[in-house]
Amino acid sequence: MRAFPILGAAFSIPMKINLKIKRFNPETDKKPHWETYTVEVEPTDRVLDALHEIKWNQDGTLALRRSCAHGVCGSDAMRINGRNMLACKVLIQNIAKDGDTVTVEPILGLPVIKDLIVDMEPFFAHYRAVMPYLVNNDPLPENGRERLQSPADRERYDDTTKCILCAACTTSCPSFWARGEYVGPAAIVQAHRFIFDSRDQAAQQRLEILSAQDGVWRCRTVFNCTEACPRGIQVTKAIGEVKEALRTGIIQ
Amino acid sequence: MLTPLITTARESLRYRGSGHVLWLLHRVTGLGVVIFLGTHIFGMSMATFNPPLHEAMLAVYKTPLFSLGEIVLAACLIFHAVNGTRIAILELRPALWDKQEVATRWSVIITLILLAPTIAIMAFKSISYYATHGLR
Ligand code: HEM
Ligand code: HEM
Ligand code: SF4
Ligand code: FES
Repeated sequence: MRAFPILGAAFSIPMKINLKIKRFNPETDKKPHWETYTVEVEPTDRVLDALHEIKWNQDGTLALRRSCAHGVCGSDAMRINGRNMLACKVLIQNIAKDGDTVTVEPILGLPVIKDLIVDMEPFFAHYRAVMPYLVNNDPLPENGRERLQSPADRERYDDTTKCILCAACTTSCPSFWARGEYVGPAAIVQAHRFIFDSRDQAAQQRLEILSAQDGVWRCRTVFNCTEACPRGIQVTKAIGEVKEALRTGIIQ
Repeated sequence: MLTPLITTARESLRYRGSGHVLWLLHRVTGLGVVIFLGTHIFGMSMATFNPPLHEAMLAVYKTPLFSLGEIVLAACLIFHAVNGTRIAILELRPALWDKQEVATRWSVIITLILLAPTIAIMAFKSISYYATHGLR
C-alpha cells in the first residue's frame, strides 16, 4: 500500500487507537489528570478528527479550541505525543499504528483554562510588544498608491509572513516555560517580518525592544520552535538573523 | 514563583524532539561540570588550608566508584565541548539552520569517536592501578 498512497487511502483499513488526554476542569479539579478514550479512526484521519469523535460521540465535556480545521487559523496547537503540533494538520497514520496510544495535552507555559484550552492573552501581549505593523512616516508616493518594493526585497522576509500565531513555537521553548516574560519565538518571527521589510522604518525600535532582558538573548538555540512550526517557518534562523542584526548593527 | 521552575524541570524531561534532547544534555553536562569544578576548587584549596582533608579527598578519588565518576566527567566535558561548538556555529551562522538535524547527529558521533579512546585509556589506567595497589 505504501507504494500506492492513493489506493492506500481508498482501501485504508480503520484502526483503533487510544487517546490519552490531559483533562482539567477548573470548577472541580485541583490538578489535571489523564483520561483515556478508545476511538476507531481511518489512518488518514487527523488527530482533530479523533478529538471530534470523542467530543461528539463519547464525552461532550471535553474542551478544545479549533476553528478552520485546515491549518489556517492557528487555534488548535496542542502537544501531541510530547511535542507541539496542530491537531488539524497531523495524520494519525504518521504518529500511531493500530492499538497505539497517542497522548494529547495543552501547550505549555500558558495558563490552562479548561482541558486543551489555554489562555493565549500573555502570548498575544508579547506579539503586540514588538510593533507588528508597518511603520513608514514618509508621504505616500505621488500617485497615491502602494509603496513599491523589488521582488528581492519582498523575498527577504517572505518566510516570516507565513505565521498564523498558533503559539506552537513559543510554547515549545524551554526558555519560555521557565520565564513567561520572554517575548518568545513567535513575537520574534513577527518582528523579523517587519525589521527586514525595506518599506518599514521602525527596525531600530524593534531591535531595541528585542535586545532588552527578555528579548532574543533568552534564546538558547534549542530548535524546538523550528521543529514545532506547522507552517514550516525557519524560526530559529529568523531569531538568529535578528541576533546577527543586533550583533553587527547591520540589517541585511 | 516556583511553578515555572517546576514546569520547566518536569516538562524538559517530557518534551520530545532531537534538538530538545541535545539541549537537555548540554544543560545537564554543563551544570554537572560546574558542580564538579566547585568541589574541585574547594578540594585543591584545602591543600593549603587543610592538608589532611585534601589528602582524604584525593584518597576518595582513588576508589572504583570515583574512577567511574571521572569517566563520566570526561564524557560530560567532551560532549559539552563538541555540542557547544555546534551551538556556537549555528548561532553565528543562522543560514545553516537546515543542517541542524544533521549537526545534532554529528555532535553525538564526534562525541562517541572522541570518547571511545578516552574511556579505553582511563579504564586501562584505573584497572592497572587497582591491579598493583589493590582495592581499598
Ligand atoms: C579528575 C580529573 C582532574 C584532576 C585529577 C585534576 C587535578 C588538578 C590539580 C592537581 C590541580 C592543582 C594544580 C596546581 O595547583 O598546580 C588542579 C587545578 C585546577 N583544575 Fe583540575 N583536575 C581535574 C579535572 C578538572 C576539570 C574537569 C576542570 C574544569 C572543569 C578543572 C579545572 C581546574 C582549575 C580551574 C584549577 C585551578 C584552580 C585551583 O587551583 O583550585 N580540573 N586540577
Ligand atoms: C570547550 C569547552 C566548552 C564549550 C565549547 C562550551 C560551549 C557552550 C555554549 C555554546 C553554551 C551555550 C549553550 C546555549 O546557548 O544553549 C554553553 C553553556 C553552558 N556551559 Fe559550556 N562550553 C564549554 C565548557 C564548559 C565548562 C568547562 C563548563 C563548566 C565549568 C560549562 C558550563 C556551561 C553551563 C552551565 C552552560 C549553561 C547551559 C544552559 O544554559 O543550558 N561549559 N557552553
Ligand atoms: S512561527 Fe510557526 S509555530 Fe510560531 S506562532 Fe507562527 S505559525 Fe505558529
Ligand atoms: S483549527 Fe485552524 S489551524 Fe487547526
